Amino acid sequence: MSKMNRRNFLKTTGGAAVAAGATLAAPTIANAAAGKVVVIGGGVAGATTARYLKLGNSALDVTLIEPKASYHTCFMSNEVLGGHRKMSQIEQTFDGLKSMGVKIVKDTAAGIDAGAKKVKTAGGSTFGYDACVVAPGIDFKLDGINGATESMFDKIPHAWKAGPQTALLRKQLEAMPDGGTFCIVAPPNPFRCPPGPYERASLVADYFQKHKKKSKVVIIDRKDKFSKMGLFTGAWKNLYGYETDNSLIEWRSAASTGGIESIDAGSMTVETLAGGKEKFDVINFIPAQTAGVVASIAGLTNAKGWCDVDKTTFESKVHKGIHVLGDASVATKMPKSGYSANSQGKVCAAAIINMMAGKPVGTPSYVNTCYSIAGDDYGFSVAAVYRYNKEKDIIAGVKGAGGLTPGDASAEMRRREVEFAYSWYNNICKDTWG
Amino acid sequence: MHKSMTYALAAGVLFGLIGVSSAQASDAEASMLANTCNGCHGPDGVSQGPAAPTIAGMNKQYLVESMKAYSEGTNRKSSIMQRIAKGYTEAEVEKIAGFFAGKKFERVAMQNTDSGAAGKGKAIAKDLCESCHEKEGFAAEDYPILAGQMMPYLKNNLMDFKSGSRSIDNNPNMSDKEKRKKKRALADLMEKHGDDGTNAVLNFYASRK
Ligand SMILES: Cc1cc2nc3c(=O)[nH]c(=O)nc-3n(C[C@H](O)[C@H](O)[C@H](O)COP(=O)(O)OP(=O)(O)OC[C@H]3O[C@@H](n4cnc5c(N)ncnc54)[C@H](O)[C@@H]3O)c2cc1C
Ligand code: HEC
Repeated sequence: MSKMNRRNFLKTTGGAAVAAGATLAAPTIANAAAGKVVVIGGGVAGATTARYLKLGNSALDVTLIEPKASYHTCFMSNEVLGGHRKMSQIEQTFDGLKSMGVKIVKDTAAGIDAGAKKVKTAGGSTFGYDACVVAPGIDFKLDGINGATESMFDKIPHAWKAGPQTALLRKQLEAMPDGGTFCIVAPPNPFRCPPGPYERASLVADYFQKHKKKSKVVIIDRKDKFSKMGLFTGAWKNLYGYETDNSLIEWRSAASTGGIESIDAGSMTVETLAGGKEKFDVINFIPAQTAGVVASIAGLTNAKGWCDVDKTTFESKVHKGIHVLGDASVATKMPKSGYSANSQGKVCAAAIINMMAGKPVGTPSYVNTCYSIAGDDYGFSVAAVYRYNKEKDIIAGVKGAGGLTPGDASAEMRRREVEFAYSWYNNICKDTWG
Repeated sequence: MHKSMTYALAAGVLFGLIGVSSAQASDAEASMLANTCNGCHGPDGVSQGPAAPTIAGMNKQYLVESMKAYSEGTNRKSSIMQRIAKGYTEAEVEKIAGFFAGKKFERVAMQNTDSGAAGKGKAIAKDLCESCHEKEGFAAEDYPILAGQMMPYLKNNLMDFKSGSRSIDNNPNMSDKEKRKKKRALADLMEKHGDDGTNAVLNFYASRK
């Protein structure tokens, strides 16, 4: 819109009006001085940072490197698995960012030269930067489980990065005969979206209840407790007969199975210490996680595979000038969630703008909320408002604020939380990708 | 100037890059604080729907009062705002409210409204609601904007007024006269016009562009 207006303006005034030309030129001068930011990853953290950098200082030169032509959100992807949503309803494009002047480069960052301040891509391009934002999300750690390989995901999907994996798992669930068993292998901490595996179990159970009554979900967990455990098990009791003989969901703790020995895509089996080899019709293996691999290539990760950062700027503790945020970062006590990544993006963008202008970075403010949908008209949430605590170097929840939906929330409140979860989806996507 | 800011400025001059933060965090900028709301209320407080309310362009006083009522949690029950509102100090809420009051209430969500019902609702609204929610609900001076607000949100509120979980009697910001007037209007709407009439009024306000 503004582009058209400007062009029309130039056309009608010609190049003659020197005074007008001078006002128009002002942003261009600022542009040269404003600085260059290269963002790696167009997911929640990267896209939010790019958008808020442009909103805060439109003169900044912002390049976003992302291999995917469009992005499928993990949030609400469990609704796709349950048949409540189509793939197109979790797809976000980069058009909004483009229209703000963010340069979108369809490529994969292959490495970062922190000394020379350059990002190299798999496609052979090099991008110089004043500040680099690394937001590659997660990758998987397969060691410790026999038989686990990257290639098995074609048959045993992780569906923990949304996209073709989500579509594949949905197809398998649709093809599964009634009476079949669906196994979710839930990951150890820390991982992306702590309530995610349990929301997934709920929404697939809902699908079974409506379409494949004799089928069942078995969660083989690598933990002994999980996020929103009381709310989930309460919902499962209310909706899916949990802990009865006819329960649609069975949850097995790590202690009860003694741990997972092997997973085999050929025989479709999961082997545990206590249970031996067990055959399933569909298996969803959600592996242990680390920061997206580019972070370790760039030397940004700690011994556990995550990136330590200054929690007020998200600047790497390893390399100056590189900011890491979203799931890849250690942002204790914020969980690895979409809302966290979005919130961190705004803190990071403000810090970069201020740092580039030689100003104090300012006091950050952060929020997280994770909505979960357990069935029709049955939603609940966990929320927190955070401040940076310098003494402990943590992003600490404000005492008295935040917390869970009460266990005895009314049916009407649970219904509203679903309605508000859908609103959250639309609003956070708009706030992230424009 | 706040002490830590002075320090930060000095450090900024010396080192260029800084990471100073105060534990009290009351010196966060209005935009920094307000942007934390956008994930649920939409960029600049303009909701994309279907249910979360737009808070852009509401009068500042109403925003402050709402945050206070939510955080106290007795006169205004909520699904989540109680947990959120408690996270901000009064001074911060002032800043946040000022920020959103300065934004434009935009009507961008595709709301499915029934034009027949909206037409019927227009007459009822004129009769019962207009004297406070002026200009067909577009007015923002004294009361919250209703025109173009999310219909499910408006509906929830009518339900809450009726059940008392959003208490009119205990609202410290309304005069006794206002309370009586509001209760009479709501009773007329729900009793005289019933579910159909109530639904018509909701459609009328939600359909305002
Ligand atoms: C099933 C499920 C449900 C979820 N539900 C919720 C929810 O309800 N609420 C919530 O808040 N969160 C939810 N989450 C979590 C949320 O999706 C993540 O926390 C969030 O996406 C993290 O954002 P990010 O930017 O760090 O990573 P991502 O969003 O994964 O983005 C990373 C991006 O970087 C790109 N990338 C990776 N490597 C490179 C490279 N070398 N070069 C260029 N680009 C690269 C990737 O292609 C990707 O687009 C859910 C997650 C799952 C799996
Ligand atoms: C997790 C989502 C979420 C976040 C974050 C959030 N809100 Fe809300 N807000 C809601 C919901 C949902 C409602 C409806 C009441 C309810 O059920 O909680 C609401 C209602 C409101 C209302 C009442 C509007 C009206 O017209 O009556 C105001 C004001 C408000 N929020 C302000 C804020 C402010 C300011 C922030 C940031 C400091 C914020 N909200 C953050 C979800 C959120």
